[in-house]
Amino acid sequence: MAGITLDHYLAVAAILFTLGVFGIFLNRKNVIVIMMAIELMLLAVNLNLVAFSAYLGDLVGQVFTMFVLTVAAAEAAIGLAIVVIFFRNRGTIAVEDISQLKG
Amino acid sequence: MIETFIFYMYATILVASAVMVISARNPVHSVLFLILCFFNAAGLFVLLGAEFLAMVLVVVYVGAVAVLFLFVVMMLDINLARAREGMMAYLPTGAVVGLVLLAELVVVFSNWGFAPHIAAEVQAPMAAYAHLTNTDALGHLLYTRYVYLFQISGLLLLVAMVGTILLTLRRRPGVRKQTIADQVARSSRSVEVRKVPTGGGV
Amino acid sequence: MEAWQIEYLPILVFMGIAGAIAVIAVTASWLAARQKPYAQKTSAYECGFDAFGDARSKFDVRFYLVAILFIVFDLEVAFLFPWAVALGKIGLFGFWSMMAFLGVLTIGFIYEWRKGALEWE
Repeated sequence: MAGITLDHYLAVAAILFTLGVFGIFLNRKNVIVIMMAIELMLLAVNLNLVAFSAYLGDLVGQVFTMFVLTVAAAEAAIGLAIVVIFFRNRGTIAVEDISQLKG
Repeated sequence: MIETFIFYMYATILVASAVMVISARNPVHSVLFLILCFFNAAGLFVLLGAEFLAMVLVVVYVGAVAVLFLFVVMMLDINLARAREGMMAYLPTGAVVGLVLLAELVVVFSNWGFAPHIAAEVQAPMAAYAHLTNTDALGHLLYTRYVYLFQISGLLLLVAMVGTILLTLRRRPGVRKQTIADQVARSSRSVEVRKVPTGGGV
Repeated sequence: MEAWQIEYLPILVFMGIAGAIAVIAVTASWLAARQKPYAQKTSAYECGFDAFGDARSKFDVRFYLVAILFIVFDLEVAFLFPWAVALGKIGLFGFWSMMAFLGVLTIGFIYEWRKGALEWE
């Protein structure tokens, strides 16, 4: 790792995370794209974990990344299932309408 | 030298395709750019030495999660024009929040450093696993020291599986289908073989 | 660059060649072919009459269930790989911790089977 330092990876992860947050605000009408933005944010977190793991010489970061990947996959599965039944009941996936779910 | 080049190539494509994920007009394109994102992140993981995680990212994320997203996008026949309207209305809010977050990250970025005692806090020094491959070293930790987290992730997968079935499985009433067990279990007595005289009829 | 990273270089070369071929094929056909599009030509051909709807058709929700099951068992296999590699050194405890994990997922599998999620009506 000659020219590339930890800062480079952290910068990439920070940009990716910001893009994910931005994507959530940009796509309020389409909850699937919001979930993709969440996946991007989780990817940024994983990149941070792996980068710190590599530069600190600590393997635990990679173990945690594995668990984060598991949680993210389960989240995507349940979240998309909710989207599917919401679409089946209401015929739309706009996030504004989902506020009716409360209560 | 070549490593620097590879890093910048992956990082550039990663960021560019992330931009496309959140701004593509068609959700199918968003999913495809998400797949490109995962591939490039896997490339960065390999560059960092996390071989196994890179392969998991390709197998599980590109192979399963992205395909799941694609399924849902194809399954829900979304009115694209309606889904896009109001994007411009949300742009200022999103831009403000994104910029604030970016500013915070820049502040963190310019001031961060390792705590002095961090070198003593290393839980599983890679030097101890230097003679092993990455996958082997992960296997040493995952199933013994982090066994509780491992079992919890198993339960999490179980919950995801049961939850999805409960949410999406809907039996249609009145569907006639083949019950193979009943067919096989039929006794031979239910079939009668008779000798019919030629030309006599039954 | 470390020795094991050099082993990934052929994959990088392969990806480069694959990308180059894809780009060349598209640009070459774009440059070499005559481009004279008009409305009749670019519209979807559907046996002479105008297309009724979108080319995208809705998938059945049961494909989604199968895909979920695939994710869950894909992750299970992803957890099996390091276990299989390190099994000789993590001892009996490691073996049984994986068996407990597999048992939990087998419960889910049995539930799914009994619920009829795998059947195609």
